[in-house]
This record gives sequence, structure tokens and C-alpha cells, in this order.
Amino acid sequence: MSAAAPVPQETAARRGGLSVSDLHVHYGATHAVRGVSFAVSPGQTLAIVGQSGCGKSSTAHAVARLLPAGTEMEGHAVIGDFDLAAATGRELREARGRVVAYMPQDAMAALNPVQSAGRQIGEVLRFRRGATRSQAADGAIELLEQVGINNPPLVARRYAHQLSGGMRQRVMLAIALAAQPLVLIADEPTTALDVTVQAGILALVRKLVIADQMALVWITHDIGVVAEIADHVAVMYGGRIVEQGPVHTIFEDPVHPYTRALVRSPRQSRDAAAKARFDAIPGSPPLGDFPPGCPFHPRCPHAMPPCSSEMPATQTIAPDHTAACHLIGAPR
Amino acid sequence: MARYLATRVALGILTIFLVVLLTFLLMFVVPGDPARTIAGPRATPQVLALVNANLHLNEPVLSQLGHYLAGIVHGDLGVSYVQDQPVASIIGARLPATIELGLAGLALELILGGALGVWDGLRAKRSRVLAVVNVGFLSVPAFSLAFVLLLLFGYVVAVFPIDGGTGGDRIVLPALTLGLFGMPYYANVVRDAMQESLSAPYTRTAVAKGLSRRQVLRHHVLRNALSPALTMAGLDFAILLSGVVFVETVFGWPGIGQLQTQAFYNVDRPVLMGTVVVAAVLVVIATLAIDLLRMVLDPRTRLGTR
Repeated sequence: MSAAAPVPQETAARRGGLSVSDLHVHYGATHAVRGVSFAVSPGQTLAIVGQSGCGKSSTAHAVARLLPAGTEMEGHAVIGDFDLAAATGRELREARGRVVAYMPQDAMAALNPVQSAGRQIGEVLRFRRGATRSQAADGAIELLEQVGINNPPLVARRYAHQLSGGMRQRVMLAIALAAQPLVLIADEPTTALDVTVQAGILALVRKLVIADQMALVWITHDIGVVAEIADHVAVMYGGRIVEQGPVHTIFEDPVHPYTRALVRSPRQSRDAAAKARFDAIPGSPPLGDFPPGCPFHPRCPHAMPPCSSEMPATQTIAPDHTAACHLIGAPR
Repeated sequence: MARYLATRVALGILTIFLVVLLTFLLMFVVPGDPARTIAGPRATPQVLALVNANLHLNEPVLSQLGHYLAGIVHGDLGVSYVQDQPVASIIGARLPATIELGLAGLALELILGGALGVWDGLRAKRSRVLAVVNVGFLSVPAFSLAFVLLLLFGYVVAVFPIDGGTGGDRIVLPALTLGLFGMPYYANVVRDAMQESLSAPYTRTAVAKGLSRRQVLRHHVLRNALSPALTMAGLDFAILLSGVVFVETVFGWPGIGQLQTQAFYNVDRPVLMGTVVVAAVLVVIATLAIDLLRMVLDPRTRLGTR
């Protein structure tokens, strides 16, 4: 690699994790992500949870540098002393796959229909790590084995349409891992899968994240998945992180009214009485045009005068726990 | 695979049989007396009767069809009413010219249209070049295009011979006519497929791997974007093989199309029938070949892979 591209190497010293600060994404006039900050340590998993349109996928695409052409982004995404958000041209290309890898939601569409699984995995080894054709083919089989595929030589010869949903997602994982990235961005990769297949992939990803000391950002709308995979949780609403903290704090001691509603949604409770008591949050999340003030105020049961005019500041509740709500510190 | 091929061949034979049946019956609707055509206007009734008997023309339609089909199986397509030569050898003499022009035209269509489509497809907005080509070539009838080329390169700047026939660079102008005529269709199909492929999730996967733009295009975008053009080429090739009448006529290219036109004016039934049978056989073979080629290029169309 040239000296001009200070892309972090895979040395333990530089595995400082990912630190995102004040990230903004604009699609034309739509301000989809409005100042998002979070950090993920190596070997740790941050789940970003929220409903459709909350900006979680835009955040994922921005950090993975896969936003569509013409989309504006601002902010920083720092790994070691390398700012991924500022990388351009060759530096950015070098960073893709090796610094940050991406796992998409729809593996069927994300795999090239006319190339075998093995070739698509081996391609990373060939073009990014200088492997020869036969080294790449062997490497692809090894990677398939790592992601828990039975009979990897056979699956390597298969095409996307010949694989099951779970196998396709494992192939995507093998592609993501092929260049040994420091950060893995997973954009709801298990959403379309059966619960049992999903559980298998969650366990596998978790094991690999710890073994390879990657920083994992897992995007999901499914609070159940959060409980299974996350060390930390960031709850997004209206293009902002409304609450962030360790997974047990978010589940046991949430302070933001939206988080509270989310973790008490009926999936979380096996208690029939609790299900009966459950009240869905009235209304629906905003899409594109966010209301002034706190984005959640039109649906918030505790909304008060400043909520509709002033954006609540992010406040620190405990060293690891932050939330953005006017209720914090106010008499309830 | 063997089973698939057997089915396809059987279906092909059925197709050819139905085409023969239909054209054969149509021949009886066409006015004219074959015996009169062969023997001439001053032939005596005795001569006419003799001709009719020799050619089984006084037998029922079904019996005539039987004779014809039996002939086809033995490679005998009858004798021309006008040229007094076996139809099979008349067509055999013309076939190489048609295949040569068909292949050349198809190659030019694919190269010109594919290149323009790929070039234009890399742009977010449709380029002016493609807009001009669309208006220019799609709105101009093919035969006027042929005359313009003939006039420009055969007369004004006499770089190509326009004396008719095959050989040398005589193929350039007719092939170019076919190529330019087909180009906008391919360019538009390829452009749309390029745009679709460029924004497809698998292309994003390739970008996320850190591949260079060239690698992304070469290994992921192009192969997917050119696949619809191949389907189109398959249909086109079948049409080109059965002879393109206007191009062959304008450039005096001695192919099947020209033969068919002459036979049509002369009410030369055996030749007309022969060109139809040969065209049907070629179309069946060409479509099978294209389907097999698709299987090589697109694993989703392969058999027994589901």
C-alpha cells in the first residue's frame, strides 16, 4: 500500500474501534440523519434500533461509505487516526473491505446472479489481497468453512439462486470478512430469515466479532435481535439518537419515552396480562419532514411546551448512558 | 440435458412441419396455373396434362402434401417452375451469402449498439448522441438508409463497389445498413440494462469490496447488462437468416431474400416453399443455439439447478 493512503493496517495497536461523531446525511432537501454520534470498541457490538425512516440505514450507508451518488454527508467516522468520512478516491477504495465491510439486508439481490459464491468471495482475496486465482478459490472455501457452511467446496460452486436464505447470508458474511475488516456494518441482514436461521447467524457473527476483535454495528428494527446480539444500544428516532447505553440499561432502565415504549412492545413480554396492558404508540414515525423540536413530541404521552419548539440536548445520565429528552431532570 | 435437447429437437421438427403445412395450404390460395407457368402460354392441353401428371398436380391436396413431405425428408425440395433446376441446389447456392450477411449484420448491430449503450449507460442522463441516433435511425425507414449509404459510399465517395453480388468488400454496405438499422434498438436496451445493473445491490457489494471502477464494471456490471441484448440478438439472428429482402434487393446481394422476392413474382411455388422451409429450419437451429449460449452465460437458465 502506498504511503499516500494511511489506511489503518490490521495491527492490534490500531484496532481502536469506530468513533462516529456529528454525522449528518442529506438526500436533497431531506435531512435524514441529524447529528448522530456513537462509538464501538473492538470486539463489541452496537445495535442501532429504530423504525423505518428513522435514519438507521442512512447512518449505516454513510459509515460504510455506500450512500448513493449525490447524497451529502458531513461528520466524522474515525478508526485509529483514519477518518473514513473524509476519505476519497484511492484512499476510500483501499479502506473499503479492509477498514469497513458491509453486510446488506437482501443477500439474494446483493450477490451477483451470474457468478458463483466462491468466485465472489475469492474476488476480495484476488483483487484486495493479491491472491492468485487458485489461492483465492482455496481461500473462499476456507472462509465458507469459517462462516459455518457444510460442504464448502460444493457451496463455492453454487450460484445465489441455488442457495437458501441462510446460506446466502453466510456467503455475504464470508465476503465481508474476506479482507479482515476492522469495522463491520450489518444492515438488518437477518430480517428476511426464519427465527432459527437468524439465531444461528447471530451467534456466528457474535463469535467472529469477538474472535477477530472487529467493531460491529448492527442495524435492526427488531428489539428481540438487539437483546441477542448487542453490547450497546443506540435508539434512533427522527434522524437522531434519542437514547444510547449498555444493553441491560436500555432494557431495564430506559429513560426516553420512545425507548420505553419500544422495549415494552408485546414481543418483549410473554406475560399475557402485559400484552393486554400494552398500548401501541399512537401515530406513526415521521418520514422525511421532521416536526420542529423533539421529533417524537407529536406521539409522546409526556409532551410538554418546550418539546414542540426546542430540540432536546443529549444529556449524560450515567457514564455510559445518554438520552435526549426534556423530561430528564424535569419534575415528572 | 440429453432429454432437454431431445425435447427441443422434437419441438423444432413440429414447428417446421406446421410451417410447411401452413405455407403449403397457402400456395393453393395463390392464383395461377403451375402447368401453364412451366409449359408456357402456347402449350397444348396434352402438354399441360403431362406436366400436371408428372408433378402430381392433379392429385388431391393431401396427397400432394405427402409427396412434398416425403421429398423434404430426402432433401428434395422439388424443381423450380421457372429455372428448371432442383430447388435445393438453387437455395444451396444462395444460402452462404445470406448467412454471411446475417452474421456480419448481427455482429455490427451488437458491436455498434452495445458500445453506444454501454457508453451512454455510464452516464446518469441519456446523452445527446443516443437521442440523435434514436431520432435519426428509428424514424428513417431502413430502405432509405440503404439508399443513403449506397449513394454516399458507392457514388459520391466511391469507396465500395455497388455492382451487386458477393465477394471482396461488397458486404460492407449491406452489413452496415443492417448494423446501423439495428443499432438504436440494442443501444437503448443495453443503456437501460446498464443503468439497472449499476444501481443493483450486487454492484454495491462489489463497490463495498473495494474493487476499482474498472473491476466493478468488468466483473459485475457488464455481464449482467449485456444479457438482454443477447436475447434480442437471438430473435434478430433468426430474422436475418431468413433473408432481409430490402437490403438484398437494394445492394443486389444474391441471398435468400432476393430469391424469395423473385419466386414470389414468378409464382414459382417450389422455390417459395423451399425458402420458407429452409428459413424455418435455420430459425429453429438459431434459437436453440442462442438458448444454449444463454445457459453458458447465465447460470439461472441452466437446467436442474433449482
